[in-house]
Amino acid sequence: MLSSLELNQFRCFESLRLDLQPGLTIFVGNNAQGKTSILEAACAVLRLQSPRTSTLGDLIRMGPGAGKGFSVRGQYGDCELSLRHTAKGGRKLAVDGENQGRSSAYLRYSGLVVWIASDDLALVKGGGSTRRRYLDFMASQLFPLYRPALKAYDRALRSRNFLLKRDASPNWAQIDAYTKILIENGGVLTRHRSELVAALAPLAAASQKQISGQDESLSIEYQAASGTGDDLAAELLRRRPDELRRRQTLAGPHRDDLTFMVNDMPAAKFASEGQQRTLALALKLAQSHLFIGKTARPPVLLIDDVFGELDPDRRNALMEAWPEDSQKLVTTTHLDWLDSSRVDARIWKVDSAQLRQA
Amino acid sequence: MKQVEYPAPVKQLILQLKRLPGIGPKSAERITVWLLQIQGDSVMKSIAESLATAELEIGECEVCGFFATEEGCGICDRSGRDDSVLCVVEQATDILPLEKSGAFRGFYHSLRGRIAPLENVGPLDLRIESLITRLKSTAFEEVILALSSDVEGEATANYLAELLAPFDIKISRLAQGLPAGGGLESADELTLFRALEGRRTV
Ligand SMILES: [Zn+2]
Repeated sequence: MLSSLELNQFRCFESLRLDLQPGLTIFVGNNAQGKTSILEAACAVLRLQSPRTSTLGDLIRMGPGAGKGFSVRGQYGDCELSLRHTAKGGRKLAVDGENQGRSSAYLRYSGLVVWIASDDLALVKGGGSTRRRYLDFMASQLFPLYRPALKAYDRALRSRNFLLKRDASPNWAQIDAYTKILIENGGVLTRHRSELVAALAPLAAASQKQISGQDESLSIEYQAASGTGDDLAAELLRRRPDELRRRQTLAGPHRDDLTFMVNDMPAAKFASEGQQRTLALALKLAQSHLFIGKTARPPVLLIDDVFGELDPDRRNALMEAWPEDSQKLVTTTHLDWLDSSRVDARIWKVDSAQLRQA
Repeated sequence: MKQVEYPAPVKQLILQLKRLPGIGPKSAERITVWLLQIQGDSVMKSIAESLATAELEIGECEVCGFFATEEGCGICDRSGRDDSVLCVVEQATDILPLEKSGAFRGFYHSLRGRIAPLENVGPLDLRIESLITRLKSTAFEEVILALSSDVEGEATANYLAELLAPFDIKISRLAQGLPAGGGLESADELTLFRALEGRRTV
C-alpha cells in the first residue's frame, strides 16, 4: 500500500504531504478543489501515467510562481518511489534515492492500480479507443513486454500512416519497413490482450451478477483486428488496395475492440442504463480481482467521483465486492451516502488545494 | 541611466557558444567568463587555431563517411583489416565504440542518419546510394546492420535488408540487448561486443 504521498508543483498543488492508511480514505470537497489530482498523483507515481492525459507535462502546475516541472514521491511498501518531470520533457525516476533509467526497472518496485471513475460508462457506450485504453492500462501492469511493444507499435503506426498519406504514389519499400515492426509488436499486443480477456471474462461475469443482485449474464468477446488466425501480415497484404485508397493502416491492434453481451444482447445498444452502469463497474472490479489472481498483490483502488453518483444498491454492492486487502482512495462531492457507523474511513476535506482532516 | 551590458565582443562570444549542442545561455556565459579570465596560458588562441585547422583539414571520407584528413581515411586506407565484412552504422560517431569493443576488424559505412518519416528523413537523405555502389564494386561476404534498437533504427534495418537481398551477400543484424532509443554511442563495450558476437542472419 501507499503509506505517504508528496506532491510538488503538481496540477493545482504547490506542495502537499500526506500520510495514508490502509483501508478506505475519502477526499471530500466541491468540484475543482484538487481531489482528483491527489488520485492522479498516486496513479502517476505508481504507474508513471495518468488516466486523464497521455502527456505527463500536462500535470505541471500552471499560474503564478509555477515551477518548471513537477515531482511526486510515494512510499510504497518498503520503497520510496520518486517521479520528477520537467517542462522540457526530462523525466527522472528513482527508487530509494537510486536513479532508474528505464521505467521497467522502476515499475518492478511499484504496485498495481485500478482507476474507477464516473466516466467509466464510456467503456460500454463510447468508442473502441476507450476499451483499448482499458486493456492497455491493465496489460501494461501485468506483462513487462507489453508497454514497450505498445510504444513501438504506436510509433511505427504513425510513421506508416504518415508515409501512406504523404506520397501520391506510396513508396511500399519504405512503408513495409514499418509494416514488419507493426507485425512483430502487434503480435505481442494481440497475444497478451487475448490472454487477458480470457482471464477477465469469468471475473466480470461474476461481478455483474454480484452488483446487479440478479441473474444478469455477461459475456465479453475480444475482437482482434488482425485478420483470420491473427495473421496480421496476410491481412495487411489483403487490405493493400483498400489502404491505397483510404491512405491509412486498416488492420492491427489499433482497431481491436471488445463486445459486451448482457443477457445475450449487445450491451451498448440494448442494455438498460442501470445494466450499463453495473457493467462498467463490473469491468473495474474484475480488473482488481484479476490482478490479485495473477500477482497475489492487492491493487490500490483509485475511485474518482463514483460514490455520490451510484444508487445505494450498487454502492453497497461495490463495497461488498471490492478486494478487502486493497487500499482505497475515494473522492466525492458529498458524504450523504456514508454510513459512518458501518464504514471505517479516514476523511479529508479538500478546499482550494488545502487539506484538513475531518 | 542606460543599463550596463557586456561589451559587444563578449556578447558575440556568448552568442556563438550558445550554438553548440547542449550549451544554453547560462553555460555559454560561464564559459565566456572563464575564457576571458584565464591567465598566462593562451587558451583562446589554441582553441581558435584548433577550430580553424579542423575546418580546413577535416572532411568526410567519401567511401565510409568517417572523418578524414588530407592524408586520407584512418579506416579505409589502413591495411590489415578484414575485407570480407562491412558494418553499416547510423553515424560516424558509432564507429569508435565498435572499434573499442574489439569484436570487429572489418570496414564501416556510415549512413549519416536513419529513415525517420516523422522527422522528414527519407532514404534519399542518407548515404544509401554510396552503399550500393560500394557493394557492387567490392566483394564483401557479409554486411552487418549495426543500427540502434528503436523503431527508426529497426525500420532502417528492415529497409536495407530488403534492398540488399538481391546481392549475394550474407546480411546480419546485431543481437538484441542494445539500450533502447540510444545510438551505439550509449552502449558500453561489453554490450557492443556481445551484440556483435551474437549477431543473427536475416
Ligand atoms: Zn573511410
